[in-house]
Amino acid sequence: MDQIQLLEKIVEEAIQGSTSTAELRAIELKYLGKSGELTGLMRGIGQLPPDEKPKFGAAVNEAKNRLQELLDGRVLELKSGEQAIQFEADKLDVTKPARVPRAGREHVLQQTFNKIKRVMGSMGFVYFDGPELEHFRYNFDALNYPPDHPAMDAQDTFYITDDLLLRTQGTAIQGRVFEEVKPPFRFFTVGRTFRNEAVDRTHSHTFHQIDVFMVDEGISMAHLKGTLGAFAREMFGEDVKVRFRPDFFPFVEPGVDYAISTSKLFNGRWVELGGAGLIHPNILERYGIDTERYSGFAFGLGVERIPMMAYGIDDLRHFLENDTRFLEQFA
Amino acid sequence: MKLTESMLRDFVTTELTIEEVCDLWTMTGFELEGITEVEGEKVLDINIMANRGDGASVLGLSREILAKDPSSQGTELYGHLADGWVASDEAEKSLETLTSVEIQIPDCTRYACRVFEGLSNGVSPGWVQERLRKVGQRPISLLVDLTNYVMLETGQPLHAFDLDKLDGQRIVVRSAKVGEKIKTLDGTTHDLKPDQMMICDATKAVAVAGVMGGEDSEVSAETTRCLLESAHFDHQSVRRTRKQLGLQTDASYRFERYVDPEGIVRALNRFAELLEDACGCTPVPGVIDVYPIKPVRKSINVRTERCSKMLGMVVTPEEVERYLTSLGSKLARNDSNFEVTPPTWRIDLEREDDYIEEVGRVHGYERIPEALPIGSTPVGGSHGLEAVIDRIREELLRCGLSQTISHSLRDSHTLDAGTARVSVRNPHSPEMALLRNSNLPCLADAALKNGGKDVHFFEIGHVFSTDIETVQLGILSTGSLDSVFWQTGVQTSADFYSLKGVLEKVMQAARVEMLVEKSIKPDTRLHPTRQAVIPGIGVFGQIHPDIAEQSDVPPETVLAEISLTALGKLATEDVQYHQVHRHPAARRDIAILVSKETPYATIEETVAKACGNQLERQWLFDVYEGKGIEPGFHSLAIALQFRKSGNFNDEEANQVRDLAVAALEELGAKLR
Repeated sequence: MDQIQLLEKIVEEAIQGSTSTAELRAIELKYLGKSGELTGLMRGIGQLPPDEKPKFGAAVNEAKNRLQELLDGRVLELKSGEQAIQFEADKLDVTKPARVPRAGREHVLQQTFNKIKRVMGSMGFVYFDGPELEHFRYNFDALNYPPDHPAMDAQDTFYITDDLLLRTQGTAIQGRVFEEVKPPFRFFTVGRTFRNEAVDRTHSHTFHQIDVFMVDEGISMAHLKGTLGAFAREMFGEDVKVRFRPDFFPFVEPGVDYAISTSKLFNGRWVELGGAGLIHPNILERYGIDTERYSGFAFGLGVERIPMMAYGIDDLRHFLENDTRFLEQFA
Repeated sequence: MKLTESMLRDFVTTELTIEEVCDLWTMTGFELEGITEVEGEKVLDINIMANRGDGASVLGLSREILAKDPSSQGTELYGHLADGWVASDEAEKSLETLTSVEIQIPDCTRYACRVFEGLSNGVSPGWVQERLRKVGQRPISLLVDLTNYVMLETGQPLHAFDLDKLDGQRIVVRSAKVGEKIKTLDGTTHDLKPDQMMICDATKAVAVAGVMGGEDSEVSAETTRCLLESAHFDHQSVRRTRKQLGLQTDASYRFERYVDPEGIVRALNRFAELLEDACGCTPVPGVIDVYPIKPVRKSINVRTERCSKMLGMVVTPEEVERYLTSLGSKLARNDSNFEVTPPTWRIDLEREDDYIEEVGRVHGYERIPEALPIGSTPVGGSHGLEAVIDRIREELLRCGLSQTISHSLRDSHTLDAGTARVSVRNPHSPEMALLRNSNLPCLADAALKNGGKDVHFFEIGHVFSTDIETVQLGILSTGSLDSVFWQTGVQTSADFYSLKGVLEKVMQAARVEMLVEKSIKPDTRLHPTRQAVIPGIGVFGQIHPDIAEQSDVPPETVLAEISLTALGKLATEDVQYHQVHRHPAARRDIAILVSKETPYATIEETVAKACGNQLERQWLFDVYEGKGIEPGFHSLAIALQFRKSGNFNDEEANQVRDLAVAALEELGAKLR
């Protein structure tokens, strides 16, 4: 029993005199652990007379528990101080620059294409990608352009041969679709178009267009206005209103240009977006569609207009020049 | 089309302000381009739609106001010019002793003229000059100014000839003769072709019909006798000729857009009236009016019900009748339908739907409600190749590549593909004369634009070679693959293998197995021994040092050119599920010494074949050559990971490893 008391005293003093948690862990190992000295006393229990054995065992355990408690208490006392020092040493300048993952940046036009595709796709319109190098007949003849009509003057066209040209409008896909598909159908395209124009802040010889069209029974100007409205509200905001104004395009009758207005973007001004109308009955008839049964609408607009209006971009040339200082603004 | 406010007020009495009139025009399709204040008066610039030649006149624009606004009234002048104004002097005999008109070709459907004698061609009245100046025209002389002014009012181009300068004092409308020439008023001499319509005298061409007069027959200060032409020419013929001669005039602008053939004599009479007011000169009595081809206007059945159905708003038969009548059509009602004959100035009204547009325009498009289409709705969005391209684009972005979108029209470039370029016949400039046949030149430009180093770009776009248009992916990757960071560490740079990794992800996105082979016929744009092909799909590798030098991009740059059109044809949606074993894997590493000429793919195949389906994965984790290694050889450390249903014990794992080693030794490799 003296042995226990002696050891207990030594350990108690050691705990009380310790100055670090590391020292305490060493004490714990030396005296209280599995092969510690205090635990070691239990091995001598065999030599004791049977009636003393329980008493001795209880005394060792009691001492062990008491010392463990004392040690744990001391660890707690020391730990907060030690951690405070460590944390101070670990200190980072959180304002230093980040290690940024190298992520790919999508082009702002692509972001616009994606949004258009999502919106039109969700309204049941199927994407169709037509060639940029197009036949004269799809770009003009199939769209009801009479030969030598002044409307063809407005869009001076890049010609490859008499028959091949760089399409001047996304609408050029319509003939290709009409040749292949019978109504009812809904299609749209987003693609590159070309006009022989000088390049400046608001003009380019190369730009992108959306063209949307559908044919079904009973399609009217109201459906055109409704679809345009839904599209424009997705693109420009919930309070967008659509206005129609008569205009002439050979491939629609009635033909309109449409403008939108939203309090957020243009101070309530009407901003013209593009051309629209009911698909000209001459075109439907050309492809054998019964105009008494079916009618359809079509609308188109320039893709670049959308980010230009939404972000206030003032120069069309930026879009195809790939300056990352421009593109990263929309990443 | 420009006009002054006072010119409009000559035709229409209205309570509308001029701004309200402009809004009305805009909403009926004649868009206001702008209002400017000139010499204290508002001048309106109105855009005329290509199929509405009738709008290029004060008369036509007035008609639109009267159709839409019930509070407006036409003036007496409007009444004269709108409705068959015939001058009362009908004694044609004396006129026929002075001149004659002969039409020899069908492109001239009507030719009328009046003759004025005893003239003094001084200056025009101040008010005429002022109005002409306000709309941007230069006053020239009494006769010329009045022809221009009457054209603004009525839309009918007039031309004044000096009668004494016409050989034989007569007019012949015919095609130009081979070798014939004319010097037009602008001083240019034109060589004429037989499909061009000319106004001629007894011997020669004196005006390009519908376009511009000739210098020889021009009225001048000395002119005392004038023949005033008012005619109708085929719009396509006028357009063809003026394009061929490179001329564009206010007259040809109107003829191209169609001029009312019934307004011809009214315009002559308006001129006579203004001339008399100006100088007291009255015309020789009578009008010569040769009118061989009268336009035939067929009537069309217009159904009120179809108007409502197509417009998506209800209109009544009474409204249809009122709107169409006010625009000049003649209607015969039959129940709620109408037999409609269009006015002579509107050739754009050909079908029922054209009238439906008229009804809608006057009724007001602002009254059309919004509705979404019902009926058959397909599964929208991208399908097929386009859906594959969408997946590939997203994968490239995830791989850390940034997207560029560039011009298709470019000059030639050292990175062009070997295929023939397609050239534009009428380029805007020589630098934009060719269509790209590869995206790589675009990418090189984009790289240089952004400093030329540490850039990783891709572009997906259409490329062109003689009559083949395909969608291609181009990749340019150069410099550090890590973003800039202040803590120094190992920076990895783009190389052949980093690009190969990107392409593996691309192929994976398309769910197509990636085969890589050594180029048999090397791409000359790429380093000859650092390039590979994905058969039928594309090529990739390090840039050729010479091309790098010529194009200013760093020599370490790697490039890829992939045909998405080809890849799209192979792409699938197939995913095959493999059972996931729950037992732990065993790993064994081997190091072999092997000739550098043995392709790694051969080693990989050999290992796979030898180990069979217990080999879950193998990967190369170290390559060493140099000190201690025989020249021409290298040491490869390969990790083998085995797994099966059930635990692998050490012995089993060693057995499978030994199979691999034995097979590799047969290949000439030595275990280290």
